Amino acid sequence: MHHLRWLLVPLLVIPLGWLLLTGFARDPREVASPLVGQQAPAWTYETLDGDTLSTDELAGRPYVVNFWASWCIPACVDEHPVLSSAYQRGGDELMIVGVLYQDTPADAESFLARYGDAGYPHLIDATGRLAIDFGVTGPPETFFVDADGIVQAKQFGPLTDALMADHLARILPSAAR
Amino acid sequence: MIPSMGHASVLIGLGLTVYAAVAFVLAARGGDPRLNTSARRAVIGSFVAAGIGCAAMVISLLTHDFGVRYVAENNATTTPPFIGVISLWAALEGSILFWALLATGWAALVLHRYRDRYRQLMPWVGATLATVNAFFFAVMTWPGNPFALTSPVAAEGSGPNALLQNHPFMALHPPLLYLGYTGMAVPFAFGVAALVTKRLDEEWLRIVRRWTLIPWTFLTLGIVAGAWWSYEVLGWGGYWAWDPVENAALLPWLTATAFIHSAMVAERRGGLRIWTSALVIATFVLTLVGTFLTRSGIVASVHSFTQSPIGPWFLAAILVALTAALGLLVWRLPDLSGDGRPSGTVSRESAFLLNNVLFLGLTFAVLFGTLLPLLVAATSGDTISVGAPWFDTVTVPIFVALLFLMGVGPALPWGTASWSTMRERFAMPLLIAVLVTAGAVGLGLREVASLGTLGLAVFVGGIMIDEVIRGTRARARGRNEDHATAAWRLTTRNRRRYGGYGVHLGVLVMAVAVAISSGLASDRTVTLAPGETVTIGGYQIRHDRLVVEPLSTDVRVIETRAEVTYSGAQNGSLDTALRDYPNSQAAIATPAVRTSLAEDLYVTLLASDSATGVVTLHLFVNPLVVWIWIGGAIVGIGAVFAIWPERRARRVSVEQRQRAPAAASVEGA
Amino acid sequence: MKRWLPAIALGGALALLALGAVFVLQPGPDLTDAERADAIGRELRCPDCQGLSVADAPTGSAQEIRRQIDELVAAGATEDEVRAHFVARYGDWILLAPASPVAWIIPFAVVIAGVGALATWLMLRRGSDAVPPERPSPEARRRLHEEVEALDA
Repeated sequence: MHHLRWLLVPLLVIPLGWLLLTGFARDPREVASPLVGQQAPAWTYETLDGDTLSTDELAGRPYVVNFWASWCIPACVDEHPVLSSAYQRGGDELMIVGVLYQDTPADAESFLARYGDAGYPHLIDATGRLAIDFGVTGPPETFFVDADGIVQAKQFGPLTDALMADHLARILPSAAR
Repeated sequence: MIPSMGHASVLIGLGLTVYAAVAFVLAARGGDPRLNTSARRAVIGSFVAAGIGCAAMVISLLTHDFGVRYVAENNATTTPPFIGVISLWAALEGSILFWALLATGWAALVLHRYRDRYRQLMPWVGATLATVNAFFFAVMTWPGNPFALTSPVAAEGSGPNALLQNHPFMALHPPLLYLGYTGMAVPFAFGVAALVTKRLDEEWLRIVRRWTLIPWTFLTLGIVAGAWWSYEVLGWGGYWAWDPVENAALLPWLTATAFIHSAMVAERRGGLRIWTSALVIATFVLTLVGTFLTRSGIVASVHSFTQSPIGPWFLAAILVALTAALGLLVWRLPDLSGDGRPSGTVSRESAFLLNNVLFLGLTFAVLFGTLLPLLVAATSGDTISVGAPWFDTVTVPIFVALLFLMGVGPALPWGTASWSTMRERFAMPLLIAVLVTAGAVGLGLREVASLGTLGLAVFVGGIMIDEVIRGTRARARGRNEDHATAAWRLTTRNRRRYGGYGVHLGVLVMAVAVAISSGLASDRTVTLAPGETVTIGGYQIRHDRLVVEPLSTDVRVIETRAEVTYSGAQNGSLDTALRDYPNSQAAIATPAVRTSLAEDLYVTLLASDSATGVVTLHLFVNPLVVWIWIGGAIVGIGAVFAIWPERRARRVSVEQRQRAPAAASVEGA
Repeated sequence: MKRWLPAIALGGALALLALGAVFVLQPGPDLTDAERADAIGRELRCPDCQGLSVADAPTGSAQEIRRQIDELVAAGATEDEVRAHFVARYGDWILLAPASPVAWIIPFAVVIAGVGALATWLMLRRGSDAVPPERPSPEARRRLHEEVEALDA
């Protein structure tokens, strides 16, 4: 009966070990987004080119919203070619909208000049309101919206070709990818 | 050449500590004193090895040897030498090297000091310390090599972390904190040794109490220094954010404080052996948990080092240490039970035990709050936050209760307290506290929290002053001394007790300062053009001009500086800036703090427009903040006073032994 | 009865102080919009800081959230509505204190249980009211240990 006291050891060690171990599997800064499965926020903003773009113009089309910044190194630098090539391959099917996160248009332009401008528009979110509407905690974060305007996926952190293909499959009709 | 020397010294350190651990165990079981001696020498050797390793790293930093990856990531040609030196502990691998230096230092010190005593215990103490240190050398050999090379060798390094260059406290906080952390391995080692050899007697208790109090002092000063540093540097006007890594430093401090108090009960009447051993083990394991949380990357924090392969190693160490120590404790449980009988319901003893319950409650609360997000994420996948509002609401009531206990506990007798004793001790301080509080209300202070704090502080302070007065009077009368001499002799002959009072006084000062500075602080955010003024809390603030230029000490850093003049309770000018470091995303705030005994004027630059010179400033007037740091210093002084050995003959001579011992009543606390 | 007076007096004072501390920390009925906005700001987490509230944080996103709180409060939204507005965007993570009451109850329950356990133990295992048994003075005990040490060597 008094050997039961040995149970104390695994009783304390195993739960603690399990709990701390699970921590390794996750990025502690990643926040689970409530937007997935919900209607994407509506917006109207000016782009770097000087035009105005709004969600009304994107109605009925799937699109990708990518929050980035020129100071977000190396993550945004790493994912830039992924986005560019996906945009070029996507043709008319795929619309990508970049959003400047706490950045100046001048710095953003230098970044594009240096790393290449694929041609998709970039919104100037001067006050940060759009980032808040999307629940962004820091660049890069990317949202994948389907033709009905529902957010199908959120990518926290930089995109890779594989992740891009994975998320695009959720919003694009199977042919174009 | 230097990096290879450093790397070699790490390998030598690993070899020496492994040898020492094995040799100590063999010596403990076989009793060969030469094995014991050589093991001890090996531990001292490991300290030398760690020293050489640190020296090699510092030299590499000072000579900007970018072939070493750690130097390339934490140093640049423009880095000033002072910053270069303290970059030894700026990032992961270097900090472990520094940790190893301190840990082997403690081991060498303790083993050398007790080389001719406690022959049953010391081999096991040595084995434990050597094993712990071997772990750190192993981490530096495999997953976290500080001397890892990088090629091709860049012409310029990234430079040190921007946040770490801003303030001289970077030189103070980590060393103090690490001394505290690493020092907690010593009482742990004695605990393990006592459990193995079944020598959990009062001699053990006396040693462990002393060797907990010493690192405890460093840990306290380290935590206070950290709070002071973040107040001066981070710019949000606060000093404690319940950040996971801040909590990690607090946890072992809480259990160590609980141990120091329960040890006094155990010493007085015996018993509590299971409890005290468990606390000693918990303190050490919590230091490992703390360093794990900082280095593993599983919690996001201001402090986190980048995620690295070191995490799993530390987790393994925690689980092994906990299993082994807990296993030992459970194994010896039958021999340890029989706790002696507590005296009355209300007594100094029960107050100390309640103190332990409350401290352990605090430990649980802080641990729970820190780990809850992890638990929720692991079980349901949701992300939640546990921040200051939760921690404040949960911990403040416990702190208040502890403050009350701090005054009442030491004034109670060891035996049962009667109503008349309580009346005698507490009626007058209570009366004075009520009067002072009423007076404050009369003077216009209405805020409940501040009034409550004031009343409690006067009550507790009054009891402490009363204790000293009583003791002085009794001694002055009994030994025919004048009051000054009596007070001096009383305190220096009872260092433990009056050192403890000193610590409590420091805590009281800190508690009042924390309560007043958070309750009565005022702040506002204003946008000013050059020449405009604004008022806050009795000060007139005037923005003079905005300057943008490189730092004179490091030309790669661009400083945007608002120059401001202020008048009021203090007069003068200050600069508050935002600094752009090349390797940092956001600009680093350099707030300006003007401290007086009554209050701090604190100014942070939030935003600026270099074209117009318009700046957005966050202004604070924080009352009594300096008293938090002063209180911390008082705690340190009190602790040192308590630890300082009393001048009394250690080895009693034969003649004196033969004379009838007049048991000199030392008024032990 | 008089025997219990010390315990009741001290225990009562302790409980009173602790409870008082809990209540004092709760935000009272706020009068102005600014005060209410500030109180809400202390409860929301700054999205790109490390654990600071939007009231304390210097970043652009924190300032924008503070602006939005001011707008919402001025438009007449209640505290719950303002919180819900941001939770809809960030999830529960944006709240600096867990919404579930269980997270609040557990620590208090543990402390109360501990105090209760201690009180029970003290009352059940209480020795006589007399002074604890005669033990040699610390001086004598120290001498004793030194002699034992000398034998050990």
